[in-house]
Amino acid sequence: MNETTSESRNGTCDDLASTQCDVDLAFVESAVTQNGRGVEAVIPILQAIQTEYRYLPDAALRRVCELTQIAPSTIKGVSTFYTQFRHRPMGKHAIQVCRGTACHVKGADLIEEAIALHLGLKPGEDTDGRGQFTIEPVACLGCCTLAPVVQIDEATYGRLTPQSVPATVRGFARQSAEQKTARRDLRNRNRSANAVSVGEIRVGLGSCCVAQGSGHVFDKVQDVVSSIGAAADVKRVGCVGMCHQTPLLETVQSDGTSRLYCHVQAEQVEQIVLQNFQPSGLGARMRTSWSKWVAGLYGRENGADALVEAVSPQEGPVCEFLGPQKRIATESCGDIDPLDLDEYRRHDGFVALKQCLNDLSRGATGETTGEITGEAIIDEIEKSGLRGRGGAGFPSAIKWRTVRGVTAETKYVICNGDEGDPGAFMDRMILESFPYRVIEGMAIAAIAAGAHQGYFYIRAEYPLAVQRIRHAIAECEAAGLLGDSILGTDYSLHFSVKEGAGAFICGEETALIHSIEGGRGTPRLRPPFPAESGLWEKPTLINNVETLSLVPWILRHGGDAFAKFGTETSKGTKVFALAGKIQRGGLIEVPMGVTIRQIVDQIGGGVPNGRRFKAVQIGGPSGGCVPASLADTPVDYEALRDVGAIMGSGGMVVLDDSDCMVDIARYFLRFTQDQSCGKCTYCRVGTKRMLEILERICKGQAKKKDLVLLEELCHSVSSGSLCGLGKTAPNPVLSTLQYFRDEYEAHINGHCPAGKCKDLIAYHINDSCIGCTLCAQHCPVDAIPAVPYSQHVVDVDRCTACDTCRVVCPENAVEVVRR
Amino acid sequence: MPTISIDDQTIDVPEDSTVLDAANRLGIEIPTLCFLKGYLPSTSCQVCLVRERESGKLMPSCATKVTDGMQIDSETPEVHAARRTALELLLSDHVGDCLAPCFFACPAHMDIPLMLRQLSKENLHGAIETIKKDIAIPAILGRICTKPCEKGCRRSSADDPVSVCELKRYAADQDLDAEQVYAPECAADSGKRVAIIGAGPTGLSAAYYLRQRGHACRLIEATKQLGGRLRHEPDPESLPRETLDAEIQQIVRLDVDVQTETPVDSREAFENLAESHDVVLIAAGADAMNLADEWSLKTSRRGLEIARETYQTERANVFAAGSAVRGKCLFVRSAADGKEVAQCIDQYLSGKSVAAPAKPFTSRLGRVATDEMKQFLAGAVSVPVQILTKQEEYSSDQVSDQVSDQSNRCLSCGCVAHGNCRLENYSARYGADPNRFGSRQGNYEVLGRGGNVLFEPGKCIKCELCIQIAAESRESLGLSFVGRGFDVRVGVPFGGSYDEAMGELAEKCIAACPTGALYFDPKAE
Repeated sequence: MNETTSESRNGTCDDLASTQCDVDLAFVESAVTQNGRGVEAVIPILQAIQTEYRYLPDAALRRVCELTQIAPSTIKGVSTFYTQFRHRPMGKHAIQVCRGTACHVKGADLIEEAIALHLGLKPGEDTDGRGQFTIEPVACLGCCTLAPVVQIDEATYGRLTPQSVPATVRGFARQSAEQKTARRDLRNRNRSANAVSVGEIRVGLGSCCVAQGSGHVFDKVQDVVSSIGAAADVKRVGCVGMCHQTPLLETVQSDGTSRLYCHVQAEQVEQIVLQNFQPSGLGARMRTSWSKWVAGLYGRENGADALVEAVSPQEGPVCEFLGPQKRIATESCGDIDPLDLDEYRRHDGFVALKQCLNDLSRGATGETTGEITGEAIIDEIEKSGLRGRGGAGFPSAIKWRTVRGVTAETKYVICNGDEGDPGAFMDRMILESFPYRVIEGMAIAAIAAGAHQGYFYIRAEYPLAVQRIRHAIAECEAAGLLGDSILGTDYSLHFSVKEGAGAFICGEETALIHSIEGGRGTPRLRPPFPAESGLWEKPTLINNVETLSLVPWILRHGGDAFAKFGTETSKGTKVFALAGKIQRGGLIEVPMGVTIRQIVDQIGGGVPNGRRFKAVQIGGPSGGCVPASLADTPVDYEALRDVGAIMGSGGMVVLDDSDCMVDIARYFLRFTQDQSCGKCTYCRVGTKRMLEILERICKGQAKKKDLVLLEELCHSVSSGSLCGLGKTAPNPVLSTLQYFRDEYEAHINGHCPAGKCKDLIAYHINDSCIGCTLCAQHCPVDAIPAVPYSQHVVDVDRCTACDTCRVVCPENAVEVVRR
Repeated sequence: MPTISIDDQTIDVPEDSTVLDAANRLGIEIPTLCFLKGYLPSTSCQVCLVRERESGKLMPSCATKVTDGMQIDSETPEVHAARRTALELLLSDHVGDCLAPCFFACPAHMDIPLMLRQLSKENLHGAIETIKKDIAIPAILGRICTKPCEKGCRRSSADDPVSVCELKRYAADQDLDAEQVYAPECAADSGKRVAIIGAGPTGLSAAYYLRQRGHACRLIEATKQLGGRLRHEPDPESLPRETLDAEIQQIVRLDVDVQTETPVDSREAFENLAESHDVVLIAAGADAMNLADEWSLKTSRRGLEIARETYQTERANVFAAGSAVRGKCLFVRSAADGKEVAQCIDQYLSGKSVAAPAKPFTSRLGRVATDEMKQFLAGAVSVPVQILTKQEEYSSDQVSDQVSDQSNRCLSCGCVAHGNCRLENYSARYGADPNRFGSRQGNYEVLGRGGNVLFEPGKCIKCELCIQIAAESRESLGLSFVGRGFDVRVGVPFGGSYDEAMGELAEKCIAACPTGALYFDPKAE
């Protein structure tokens, strides 16, 4: 059997694994006991094994087959399909490098190279010689506003530069930030006895806020409050959306006045607390004034002592950022504790669900019937004009009604939380910040469809979202909001969480269903649609996170109120992840119909660093690039489609004149090609061939006829592919070909107008050079010999175009020229 | 019962029928690769695409359920183009030769690998049949051929080419020495008469194949003896006269009417021939040039002018081939021309449109890397090339071992599925260009050596059929897809062999494989 060579190519290595693993298989038994013996347990079992051993030892997989109904072929097929699973032992720590869109345009490639260089990796290696770190590229960590981002084990690091990489990796040795968050999440709120009279100090603790240091700020606030005995509740809140201002801290006095502080450092916390709250008790007051006095005595002469200024939400950047927004899916954003069920209820939480259930139970007494209730819910949804927020924009009411209309004993609802578009993270934010709202929306959907069982399918890259939804489900069960007889009715409703395992394609509903069933996440031909035959061939209602999060509001305020927002065909609001070359990136929710220009200029504050706004990439790998000249296009399903983009799930990456559009097209093709499940010819082979042509173009090796072939291939792949991934994969290419054809042609002539494509550019140091040798010192590949006080020269053959010299040069003497 | 129309033909079909089912009922043949009745449609190949008129969308007919009133287009240029592109994409990722390089190197396109397989099993009768299907004078060519086949042999880049020419000579000599010399079947008299001017390699070969099709042949030779340039160009050392005579005799004995010492050097003589025969074939060698005026035929730079594809001169019933049209050419080229022109004449005589045999479709491997060569060598015997024992000693026991060994040096470059491969057949039918998306990139490899079942991942189109079939048995390990996307391949769990993966179901899996990716090792016990 000569399989070793072929196996290792696919990242699996049976021989290696069997010799290297001397594993204690007792754990496998407990993993099986915990997750079940049926085929559907395969992914959870594999995840448990991987968590335990940090890879999948062959012996453990064999043991699983012995203990369960899972066949060897199933375990092999599934474990090699999902990128989460490793078949080779890995280093002690995983460095995940985000390859999302925002990270890409902000130089993720350079970060990846810098890490490899720092770890001394040779081409093809992913683990350093000492077995400490393994580098793993990931599709998107969903922290786009902090781009470029890496995650080391559970700690996220944002806004990296190639120069900051060594310090980041070395500094990682300190304890992981996320573990603290876990504790923060589970810790009881530090609430004072008299809940009414005190104020609140709110700190946003979404994943990206934590990456920016909000966790430390939160800890500090707790310490300060308890040490000085301030009359304030310290409250963790969800994502505030203003990612560009994090860490963000808001103080709310007992009279309701609030102050917002941006970019808060842990050292400023004490001051902020004291500015807003009186210490209680004589001892504390004395300690405080003593420490203030000491601080005043010893230094801080450079003005750091000055009062920390709060920002005003009535004017200035925060006002502009918030101005055009309308929060429905993200209602009470920044106000409420994501996991505090009581607080959610105080903010009208579960009112809509109760209403639906009341109608249902009245049905039992004869006033109205359950039949009508479901219908009534769907009527309201229909009036609202709600369309799926996952990308395609299918009218939700039609979907709901179809599932409702099918007679079946068992039906399912699924919340599609497999948000995979690089550059999009609104679903993560909603799941992390408003878990109860999504649960309520899904419960209402279940009642409307007549389902009693539901699954949240959440991608594995979102551990905090998974944790919070699990926690929230448990709270709801304890409160009788979920379970055998919800809110005292005889309606039973059970929800559970299924974690994805790293496959973008599982966002496609039929692939998602295969994944829950314990298979490879390959899509199948529709029809039959899941509404007729879905999970385990039962009628299944699948909705996206954002769609479900809009449902409670719609039912509370009525469909008409929702339909007041938006355009003729696109109603309500849409959440976008605004990132890329933008002043104020963040998570925004806007009424449909606002223009791209309003979003970029007003909310986002335009393009930074004096560069020119070139285009917006909307809709991720299925979407397109809308050029600046069409920026007055409104946010509307049809209008966006007409300009070659799509609404998509809500990623919006702003590009400036330093971004190469061919590179952007190649970037997305790389992504889709990498994420193709490999089932149908057009997508499996077609996207590969398209990518090859794009690679040739970026290297300046393409000919004119390659453009023709590329265009033909785009049309073939989009009409011949089986599922949405393949059908839309050519969109980024087609839209850039439509609006930026001249850039493609320039590459064919050996020129990259944006100066981005490495094979077509060279670094040159001009005569402004003062001979400071900074560039030479920082060059990671010694391509610039240090010659103090004279003009430096770049050795073009050695240069890897990492851009470091240009960044460090104090005289702007390094320029990018045509090769 | 829903009603569907495909290409405007309407039919009622049972509920739950697919578009493919309906097409079958209508007698419209839709190509399929990954579909097999009785198994779940994997909708992978996308070669069975059809177009739904209302939505304008392309859909795989194998899995699309018929709905009432559905209107489908199948045989339209758009649909054919989509099928062709799917085939071309599969071919761009296809690693293998449909036909071995030697097939294309040999001007007569003889099936050399088949002959070698037959010789390795001491099937002399089969071998001579294979040879004579394409070469009428193998004993002669076996001595004087310049062996383009061996220059094209893939093994020549590893050590030495397989001695194809010698082995062919051996088979032909053995046949001539046999009590019952091989004689092809000749069809019943067609009533048509062909005059062949010139009894050289072209004329003799043409007569040999025309007779097999039942056409009466008159072989008209200007000199005393048959053989044309075969008689005076090679030196008698290399081509003994006895061999020449003996092989010519094998052709003449198929009731060929021979007329020697009859030069056709006047207009009158030529017109008489044309008058009294249905077809005149000019195979008069390079001399034909000089007589072109007499025969009132046009010439080109090299010889008589003919239509490339049909061997026809401007007079529809006058054909020309061999050196007469090419000037100086290889003997084997002349022999090949004789075969091909015979086919064209046969088409003409049967009232069909005349066309030379189409170049067969093939996927080509091209140059192979060192590692790939190892894969090939692993499937062949490693003995060095050896000059075959002299004819006089053929009877010795060693010889048959030697022949078998030398034949087994063949790397079997051609595909086992050639002729039965659906990818190959549909590619030919839809005119797919295997190089539209660039030349091949995948590596040639053969897995499972040592077992009964071999697997060539480079030829696998990921149809999933073997995976589905292997899963029917609980006894065997089963097969699964490994990895995903472009790099997905079919593998065996836990490092098992392909034999263990399929067990008893191997035969069924192999039969279901739409290409030559999965097969029994012909060399296994």
